[in-house]
Amino acid sequence: MFDTADTGAKLTLDGVSSGYGPIAIIRDLSLSIRRGEIFALMGKNGMGKTTLLKTILGLVPARAGDIRLDDQSITGASPKALIRSGVGYAPQEQPLFTDLSIRDNLRLAVRSDRDLDTALDHVFTHFPFLRDRLAQKAGTLSGGEQKMLILSRALMLKPDLILIDEISEGLQPTVIAQIARALHAERDQSGTTILLVEQNLNFALEVADRWAVLKLGEIDDSGEAKPESRERVLEHLKI
Amino acid sequence: MTLLLDIVTTAAILFIVSAGLLAIFGVLEIVNFAHGAWLTVGAYCAVVAGGLGLNPWLALPMAFVTGAVLGGVTERLIVRPLYARPLDAILATWGLGIVIGQLITLWFGRDVHFTENLLSGTIHVLGTSYSLYRIFALAAAVVIGLGFAFLLEGTRLGLSARAIIMNESLARALGLDTTRIRLVTFMIGTGLTALAGVLLTPLTSVDPTMGVAWLIGSFMLVMVAGSSFGALAVACLVFGGAQVLVSTFISPILGGITVAVLSALVLRISSKGFARV
Repeated sequence: MFDTADTGAKLTLDGVSSGYGPIAIIRDLSLSIRRGEIFALMGKNGMGKTTLLKTILGLVPARAGDIRLDDQSITGASPKALIRSGVGYAPQEQPLFTDLSIRDNLRLAVRSDRDLDTALDHVFTHFPFLRDRLAQKAGTLSGGEQKMLILSRALMLKPDLILIDEISEGLQPTVIAQIARALHAERDQSGTTILLVEQNLNFALEVADRWAVLKLGEIDDSGEAKPESRERVLEHLKI
Repeated sequence: MTLLLDIVTTAAILFIVSAGLLAIFGVLEIVNFAHGAWLTVGAYCAVVAGGLGLNPWLALPMAFVTGAVLGGVTERLIVRPLYARPLDAILATWGLGIVIGQLITLWFGRDVHFTENLLSGTIHVLGTSYSLYRIFALAAAVVIGLGFAFLLEGTRLGLSARAIIMNESLARALGLDTTRIRLVTFMIGTGLTALAGVLLTPLTSVDPTMGVAWLIGSFMLVMVAGSSFGALAVACLVFGGAQVLVSTFISPILGGITVAVLSALVLRISSKGFARV
C-alpha cells in the first residue's frame, strides 16, 4: 500500500496561464499534487478543466508560469517527451481510434512491440474482458467498455502520473466502480499520481484524496475529499 | 487475350505511377503537385546509370534513394510549414515541380533520352506472345501493393500512419512523433515515385517534362481512391481498362483523356469516389 504522507510534490503548477488564440482560459493558476495522490479537479462546463490537462501535457502551450514534474520544469515540453517520461493521458474528446482494433489502440501506447505483452498483462489485471476481445474494433465496444479501454491505454506503461479527463461521464455505477477500483489499485500498488478531471461529484469524492474547483480558469476552492465536502463542492457546481 | 493483358498491365503501370502520390496524400493530406517532377528525377537516374555504364537495374535503388533524400529535404523546407494550408501546399509543390524541371533542363539539356531496356523480348502468356516488360510491370505493381499493405498493416510505422490519418491530435496526445512519421512517409512517397520513373523508361522517352503527362492522371486516380491502396488498385483497373478500350476501339487521343474524364464523372456522382473499396 502506497502512503502519500510526507511525500514530495509530483506535479506543481506555478502561475500557469494558457488559452487558445487571444482567449485566455487558464489564468495564473497554481497547484501542487503530491506523489501518489489522487486529485480531483471539478468545475462547471467551460471553466478550463480540459484545457488545463492539455496545457500540462504540452498540447496547449503555456503562456506564462512554470509546470514542474518531480521538480523538473516541463513547461514547453512536447507530449512525446512527457509520455516518455512517465505521463499517461486518458482524453475525453475523440479518445479512441474507433476503426482500429483494441489491440492496436493499446499497441500505440507502447514504444516497442517487445513491451506489448507485459503491458497487456498489466491492464488485463484491471479489465480482464479485454483479453478475449483484442481483435475487436474499438468503435464496436459499448460506452463503458470504451472508457475502460481508454483508461487501459493510459495505464499500459505504468505511468508515474496519469491525467484523466471525465472518465465517468455517462457510465453506469457498476462500470464506475470498476474504474474506481483500477485507479486505487494503481495508486496503492505503484504509487501512481492521478489528476482526475470530473463532473461526477460522488465518484470524485469517493476516489480522490483532495479536490479543487476550477472557475474561469482559476482555483476557486479546494479541500480534502471527505463525505462532508459534498455540499461545499455542490455549491460551486450549481448553475 | 492481348486486349485483356493490355488492360491489366496498363492498370499496373497506372498503379505504379500513382502509388507514391497516394502514400503522401493518404497520410499527409497534401496533394504533391511536384509528383511529375519526382517521376522525371527517377527517369533521369536511369539516364545517369546508363551514362555511367552501370547495370540498368541499379537505377531502381539509385532512384529510390535520390527521390527519398530530395523528398526529405523538400518536406523539411517546403511542405512542413504548409500542412495547415493545403491549398498553399499545392501551389508550393507545383512551383517546386517547375523548378526541378528547369534544373534538370540546365543539367541535361532539352534533348530526349532513351535508356537501356530493363527487360526486352516477349513471353508466352495464356496462349499469346506478350511484352515481357509489361508482365514485369504487373508483377512490380503487385509487389508495390503488397509492400504497402505490409507496411500499413504489419509495421508500427504503418500503424502510426493509420492513427495519424484517423485522428492526428489523439496520435500526438499519445506521444507519437507525428513530425517524424510525416517526414518518413513523404520520403517513402517521393522515393517510390522516383522508382516509378525508372520503371517508366522502357515505355517512354525521357525528357525534362515527361512527368507532367502522368501528373493529371495520377492526381485524378488518387482523388478517386482517397487514402486506400485497394481503392487505387480498383480505380486503376477500371479507368485503365476504359483507357485501353477507348484507345483501341475509338481513338487513342480520346483514350488519353479517359482517366481524367471518368474520374471527374465518378467524383461528380460520389465525392468519396472508390474510397470505400
